[in-house]
Amino acid sequence: MSTSLLNVEDLKVRFKTEDGIVPSVNGVTFHVDKGETVAIVGESGCGKSITSLSILDLIPSPGEIHHGRIDFNGTDLQAIKKKQLRKLRGNEISMIFQEPMTSLNPVFTIGNQISESIRLHQRLGKKKALMKSIEMLDRVGIPDAEAVVRRFPHQLSGGMRQRVMIAMALACNPKLLIADEPTTALDVTIQAQILELIKQLKTDFDTGVILITHDLGVVAEVADRVVVMYAGEVVEEAPVEELFANPKHPYTLGLLSSVPKAEHVVDELGTIEGNVPNPADMPEGCKFHPRCPFATDKCRNEHPELEQFDSNHKKRCFYDVEKGGVA
Amino acid sequence: MMNTTAAANRRPLIQVKDLKKHFPITRGLFNQTVGTVRAVDGIDLEVYEGETLGIVGESGCGKSTTGQMLLGLLPPSEGSVIFEGKDLTSLSKEELRLRRKDLQVIFQDPYSSLNPRMTIEQLVGEPLKIYGLKKGKALRDEVVRLLRVVGLDEHHLKRHPHEFSGGQRQRIGIARALALNPKVLICDEPVSALDVSIQAQILNLLKKLQREFNLTYVFIAHGLPAVRHISDRIAVMYLGKVVEITDRDSLFESPTHPYTEALLSAIPVADPTKRRTHKPLEGDLPNPSNPPSGCRFHTRCPYAQERCVKEEPSLVEYKPGHHAACHYPLGM
Repeated sequence: MSTSLLNVEDLKVRFKTEDGIVPSVNGVTFHVDKGETVAIVGESGCGKSITSLSILDLIPSPGEIHHGRIDFNGTDLQAIKKKQLRKLRGNEISMIFQEPMTSLNPVFTIGNQISESIRLHQRLGKKKALMKSIEMLDRVGIPDAEAVVRRFPHQLSGGMRQRVMIAMALACNPKLLIADEPTTALDVTIQAQILELIKQLKTDFDTGVILITHDLGVVAEVADRVVVMYAGEVVEEAPVEELFANPKHPYTLGLLSSVPKAEHVVDELGTIEGNVPNPADMPEGCKFHPRCPFATDKCRNEHPELEQFDSNHKKRCFYDVEKGGVA
Repeated sequence: MMNTTAAANRRPLIQVKDLKKHFPITRGLFNQTVGTVRAVDGIDLEVYEGETLGIVGESGCGKSTTGQMLLGLLPPSEGSVIFEGKDLTSLSKEELRLRRKDLQVIFQDPYSSLNPRMTIEQLVGEPLKIYGLKKGKALRDEVVRLLRVVGLDEHHLKRHPHEFSGGQRQRIGIARALALNPKVLICDEPVSALDVSIQAQILNLLKKLQREFNLTYVFIAHGLPAVRHISDRIAVMYLGKVVEITDRDSLFESPTHPYTEALLSAIPVADPTKRRTHKPLEGDLPNPSNPPSGCRFHTRCPYAQERCVKEEPSLVEYKPGHHAACHYPLGM
């Protein structure tokens, strides 16, 4: 395990609200190796974004990490001082957000915004930092980069803005890139361009990537390993080919069958009945049991552990998909 | 299924002829017009009874504007929308109001399309009240029936929209749209705002309702897999024009327009063993206030030639039922 770039162990995040303590992430464990793309998949409210924000200690206010350990490159991120963490943010660990319009500052030029982190972390002068910004924009496939550095965010299209975000995130050659739904707001043709770019990072810079998404198509396209989350927990983890070929958790099965395929048409899509549970009112036992077609009394009463049943495949479920029955 | 029945009685329920919508761009103190955005720039479409026509394209291609003109919510700049033999653009306000009973809509965002202060009973009953069709107990019974049709029930009657999840709200929106027993439902991105597991529930529901009530759908979306799942025929739009229109299988299996080909190759396939290297389309969508000369796609088309820069291609039927607007259609 010491070889991994990032190690998240038993992470628990909760929000203190007026209505009491609401748990958001409940004991999430995963790791990311150098040059590896790990996808975190799940529906809204499953805690995937909160997990990624806690790595950079960016959880919004009433939220707090109250348990667990996050190791990056051998350093415990929670033990270090705020100042040291700031040195890592935007430098060794970068983040791309979903909405490229709201994550860029509208009153500064593109060049200004990319230069900021370069000047801060690499201690380059204004001119050199701007040169580097142009080089970065070039690298992410923005035509006429020298003109674009002088423009403001509103003058660019959504795809261009997202590429600016990526250029900014990559400006300091981060070791880890966290991409939170990087293509959700974009059209398919632009999405394809951005995904190509993320794939290239791996080969060019050996960057580790955490890709947070709900789009299984995107996962299949770029991920090496997949972590499936449901209601604040990891319910399944496997290499991407293994997960798509042999999904073991009923939730993963449901997700896979509910995706309409562009290649062929089925008469009726598989569905997962019901809705994602409210974090303030989690079901007893296995959190998925109210929506699970295979649930038994055991699932209703006992909480399954994340068990490693194969060298690279983990699941949190009593049910055996192959044998058909609860162990 | 629907394919054969739709083909058997080729009776267009809606006929769109040379439909255009131009929005003026105004600047300055006196709102001088400095240009026009050609959101929809001359499209011809037919929607047959009982079928689902999918309209796909990237943001800004004019698909939603088209949907609004089909509903008579937006007056076209030019052209006509003929619904059951009557031109919607020539109707008076009152005539249009009555016609609209047959043309209903489901919106994308179930969070902003329901009035938060109204109960579900009021929301679903509102269209029936407006048209004075039902009142009192009959109204309430009808609302309960509609809720059951979309998979909700009477104990939801007194609740407000905020008590429901996105998928349930979309069901409420559908119940509301069905209240007047319409012939046509225009679905504008009805599942894009929902989680995947919920998307499937709504798509299945829409299919079931179509069979039960013999509805005709115009399904507007940018997610191609969902469109393929539900549509019988699909129209692809680019910069205010229809570039290809055909039945769904020919579109996906043998696209004729280079833009369709590019769109299809950009869809991520949910199968890691079929990972391919995309040839992503270069560049962004051109500005619709100043579309490129000739074929609008020529600036991004990998096969563009001289002729494409100068001459605008018209929509030609290359194979029976398969129309494309391209000088050099693929596979011909």
